[in-house]
Amino acid sequence: MRISHFLLMVHYALLVSAFFSLLWKRGRQQRQRLFLKLFLGMVGGGLALAWLMYFFPSGPPTPFP
Amino acid sequence: MSEPAAAPRAADPPAHNPVVAALLAWVVPGAGHLYLGRRGRALAFCLIVLVSLFTGFALQGNLYRVVAGQPLSFFATLGSMGVGLPYFVARWLLGYQGDIESASYEYGSAFILTAGLMNLLLVLDALDIARGRKS
Repeated sequence: MRISHFLLMVHYALLVSAFFSLLWKRGRQQRQRLFLKLFLGMVGGGLALAWLMYFFPSGPPTPFP
Repeated sequence: MSEPAAAPRAADPPAHNPVVAALLAWVVPGAGHLYLGRRGRALAFCLIVLVSLFTGFALQGNLYRVVAGQPLSFFATLGSMGVGLPYFVARWLLGYQGDIESASYEYGSAFILTAGLMNLLLVLDALDIARGRKS
């Protein structure tokens, strides 16, 4: 099975956002708002950090033993 | 002269034992909220925690256990044990260990640990609701 890092990150963000929006907020609208904030914050933050990694030198590939 | 009608009293909330609520919440994810009458939230929390846990298992993540000489493994084990009964079933009945050579090992470990920590937060939430500190 091929595993996509991005999809795993989205899956994780979905679970955590749903959990905290249910735990912390009561109204439907408030929950939706917090869910979107957390979800977009995690996915967007992850993508931003990943993009920043391009500025770091990657170096030669590690040889297999 | 007739007596004035008594003002209607709001029904008293049913008394729930905080210790039972916390214990149930720890043993089975969502059971504490079910005991407190929060059926919808109980189901949602149970699904979220179990999906996170089984994703971790599917990714061959680490089900932490205490390793001598590695003090941080103690806290990671406590966090993983937070998921309650599924931890012990997976570890002792199913013999689950994870696969350190799997490419998804670290991801899986994060999912499993997150499931445990989320359930620990549910224990505290159930405790607060049972004590009347939270609606």
